[in-house]
Amino acid sequence: MHPLNWVIVVGWLIYVVSHGIRRSKGTKELEGYFLANRSLPWWAVGLSVMATQLSAVTMIGTTGQGATDGMRFVQFYFGLPLAMVILGVTLVPFLHGAKVYTAYEFLERRFDAKTRSFTALLFLLSRGMSASTIIAAPAVVFSAVFGWNLWLCVALIGVPAILYTMIGGVQAVTWVDVKQMFLIVGALLAVVITLLIQIPLSPNEALHLAGAAGRLRVFDFSFSLTNTYTFWSGLIGGTFLMLSYFGTDQSQVQRYLSAKSVSEARSSLLISAYWKIPLQALVLLVGVLVFVFYETHEQPILFNPNNDRAVRSAQPVQFAALEQRFHAATSLAGRDSVRAAAYELTSAVTHQPVKDVKKADVNYVVPRFVIGFLPIGLAGIFIAAVIAAAMNAISGELTSLSTATVIDFYRRWIRHDATDAHFLIVSRAATVFWGIFACIIAKFAVNLGSLIEVVNRFGSFFYGSILGVFLLAMIPRARANGAFVGLIAGMLAVGFVNFSQPDVSFLWHNVIGAVTVVVVGMALSLALPRAVEAAPAS
Amino acid sequence: MSNRFKITLVRVLAIQVITLLLLGWLQHYYSAPLPPSP
Repeated sequence: MHPLNWVIVVGWLIYVVSHGIRRSKGTKELEGYFLANRSLPWWAVGLSVMATQLSAVTMIGTTGQGATDGMRFVQFYFGLPLAMVILGVTLVPFLHGAKVYTAYEFLERRFDAKTRSFTALLFLLSRGMSASTIIAAPAVVFSAVFGWNLWLCVALIGVPAILYTMIGGVQAVTWVDVKQMFLIVGALLAVVITLLIQIPLSPNEALHLAGAAGRLRVFDFSFSLTNTYTFWSGLIGGTFLMLSYFGTDQSQVQRYLSAKSVSEARSSLLISAYWKIPLQALVLLVGVLVFVFYETHEQPILFNPNNDRAVRSAQPVQFAALEQRFHAATSLAGRDSVRAAAYELTSAVTHQPVKDVKKADVNYVVPRFVIGFLPIGLAGIFIAAVIAAAMNAISGELTSLSTATVIDFYRRWIRHDATDAHFLIVSRAATVFWGIFACIIAKFAVNLGSLIEVVNRFGSFFYGSILGVFLLAMIPRARANGAFVGLIAGMLAVGFVNFSQPDVSFLWHNVIGAVTVVVVGMALSLALPRAVEAAPAS
Repeated sequence: MSNRFKITLVRVLAIQVITLLLLGWLQHYYSAPLPPSP
């Protein structure tokens, strides 16, 4: 790649770290460090909320999904606007008004310490692991595409984010998120314009080509519990998932707890309600146009450079024959079938089975285009945007992990009477601990490909159940033991469905978990006499 | 339901319906074969 691209990437990294550190004013007290003294404007909080969920996987994997599978992934977000409105009138006023640091702290005020500690522990386990996958996904792509050492790629993404999060706390994270959101959206728009210029067809013809290949198919109105990407899964399952994520996950809740008022916290969520679906459509459109670009230019049969090199050197004759057939194929279906044969050959050479041919190279389609075909400068901007997206997500996770560790465990169970200065030192140490933990696990997550899947499944076991506990918290007659037993019942119900019906989409796990917790929790709360309930809690 | 909530809900749903209609149009219009050039 041209050196100017690297100058842009390194320049951006230096800029965001220094900007984050400059923005760390007022972080000498715990409230300043974790909640920016509840002083942030709604638009900054709203952009930060969007930035936290837009990771490098979105920039690399979702664009790749647009190229290989089309636009139907956007259905996943159909429940989000409704969820934002519901949260604005339900959980947001409760949580913001309670003046808590973490969502789980609110559960102790409403129920008891065991419910708080258990939900906080589940959060630490799932987010600690998912922080590592956020780093691992882009690191493995960078390593394959640039031929770099994996540790270097992990450090390139992890170290700057750990640095500014550790020094500046949530204030630095939010303002860096704002800056990086402009970079990310700007980079996506610039790539769309460049693609439209580089594709030797008019925009109308390019979209017709994409449409004919099924890449513009957005809607699937079939009702299927096993298909994640349908209108109904997105609308119903998606609403519950988004309610869980934005309403109970500390990485999101902490964002709007730092807003000036309840009204500003609500407004910040509405930014996602208005803009998330169009933004996601833009991300997928980049992939769709990359697909059209490759249809009008010579494309590699294998997009993963590591696999390409391995197969070329191990089976040169067979691979050359496949390449010849691939370039001679006149239809998309013909090329797909030759590509499937190339993946089989890859699998035989690398001894790594290819589970799904359509997803095999999904993370490499767009990076190969960026490096090979984007003009000098724009390639650097796009790579900086990928690293920015990774840093946004990881910094949001680190600050929330540190907050839950210190507030829900250290201050609650170990040292509740220490000074703010002491808690600040512990908080910074916790941020660094979780950062290093995420980087180390990321290195192993890369080698254990299925770990990412395990982490996602693990999260889906209790996401809906935690939402159920928060829903119970808003029902006056719900009681502590009912909520705790309901939480366990919800997780068991999801576990049962997961093992007995493994094909059911994880989106429906959230619905099952939340409904079970509310039903069991309310039944027990009404059945147990108040005296029995009060005894164990006192 | 408060008035403020109703207004917000209507606004968000209206924007969502418009977005979905646009996506539906994109799917419907461009899935048809390209008309032959004159």
